[in-house]
Amino acid sequence: MSDRLTMEELAALMKSAGITVDPAELTSRPDSRFDDYGLDSLGLLGIVGELENRRGRALPTDADRCKSPREFVDLVNNSLMTGA
Amino acid sequence: MKSRTAGPVAAITGIGVVAPNGIGAEAFWKATQAGDSVLDRVTRQGCEHLPVRVAGEVRGFDPGSLVEERFLVQTDRFSHYALAAADLALEHARLGRADYADDPYAVGVVTAAGSGGGEFGQRELQRLWGRGPRYVGPYQSIAWFYAASTGQISIRRGFKGPCGVVCSDEAGGLDAFAHAVRAIRQGSQAMLVGATEAPLAPYSVVCQVGYEGLSTGDDPERAYRPFTAKACGFVPAEGGAMFTVEDAAEAVRRGAPVRALLAGHCATFTPPGRPEDSEGLAHAVRGALREAGCAPEEVDVVFADALGTPEADAAEAAALREALGAYGSKVPVTAPKTGTGRAYCAAGTLDTAAAVLALEHGVVPPTPNVFDVCHDLDVVTGSARVAPVRTALVLSRGRMGSNAALVLRKGP
Repeated sequence: MSDRLTMEELAALMKSAGITVDPAELTSRPDSRFDDYGLDSLGLLGIVGELENRRGRALPTDADRCKSPREFVDLVNNSLMTGA
Repeated sequence: MKSRTAGPVAAITGIGVVAPNGIGAEAFWKATQAGDSVLDRVTRQGCEHLPVRVAGEVRGFDPGSLVEERFLVQTDRFSHYALAAADLALEHARLGRADYADDPYAVGVVTAAGSGGGEFGQRELQRLWGRGPRYVGPYQSIAWFYAASTGQISIRRGFKGPCGVVCSDEAGGLDAFAHAVRAIRQGSQAMLVGATEAPLAPYSVVCQVGYEGLSTGDDPERAYRPFTAKACGFVPAEGGAMFTVEDAAEAVRRGAPVRALLAGHCATFTPPGRPEDSEGLAHAVRGALREAGCAPEEVDVVFADALGTPEADAAEAAALREALGAYGSKVPVTAPKTGTGRAYCAAGTLDTAAAVLALEHGVVPPTPNVFDVCHDLDVVTGSARVAPVRTALVLSRGRMGSNAALVLRKGP
């Protein structure tokens, strides 16, 4: 499942939104809020757009409303696995 | 702005400058007072072949060392200048988070902007055309917008008071102060006020090419010489200034440095395309003096708009005679912007910064590159003039017909 979203890839995507975060921190505290990392809703929307371009498929419309890394990664990976 | 009996309600307590001739009030004043000209050939990428040859570029500005990355990726260069200048203005006023932590609604932000984030917008639109709509980033929705700087300053510093953006042509830089004074009158404790511009990017420069009055000269020493027989228009500049404006009594109570009082302002409008019109500017001067309760002879220095075309320069000289009478030919007039360029909306704010510093230091800075004045004005040329400066008048005009005048009084 090479196209699963990992915390490493999420951290790299957050970097493009100007947020520097260690993937290990996302992994150890997956329920911290994006807000607390300084990532706002437009930032997450940009990450969703970039992921959709990378995977060549649409993500669920509520993807950019996720509050935490765990919620986001789970939603994206469920979507990718079910092909929804 | 004030009634004659009440006295000025608002004080400038902090100045934050990001200008072609210096970053920070101290560096800016040193260069301004010395009459250094930093005008130079435009070097910004993609602009080299365009017909605007000379400008005032802000060099040596490292936004990454001043503003967090997440704010930088969301914003254009004009907001980078504003965010950095706002920090400097707060620091200069010694106004920290502890001062408003209990009441974030007590502090607001008002800025003016002429064109917003052209460089950011161009990059995203090139992605749109080159790769398609899926490649346009979400921050395009806010970064190009002329309101971006007000929004980002308020978000970054946690200011929840009245926030606004003045879109009133180039004179908006002075009008922003009037909005801030109104907010103070209505109960705000402090306002971050000012304007910054970043017009030196390819799309933005192309937009300016048709401007009447824009100099296309390629000699930095000759491209911008208002009030002389060689006047051939103005050269653009980037950067600008932000100010901390506070309730004057509150500022004194908290021991803040009261650098100047905002005593009077007036804005007028004249039809666009009539640079020879002096009436609108004269009326703005009279209105600002009336609000300040200031007689013409009390004005110690005028910071001129200095558009730099023969008609507009003659109109500015005529406006001063119409509003100040015979004293209009005697009052010291300066235009330090001939050394840095004319920064659209931000020009009035940089002049206000220079005016406040002139009040503090008792020195009228000179007008670089200008010699042999051909109007009936006492333009300060060559070197700075030491003089008691208690009252300064700052003028600004826009190419679409706006005029504004601001009267500043020395602090107590």
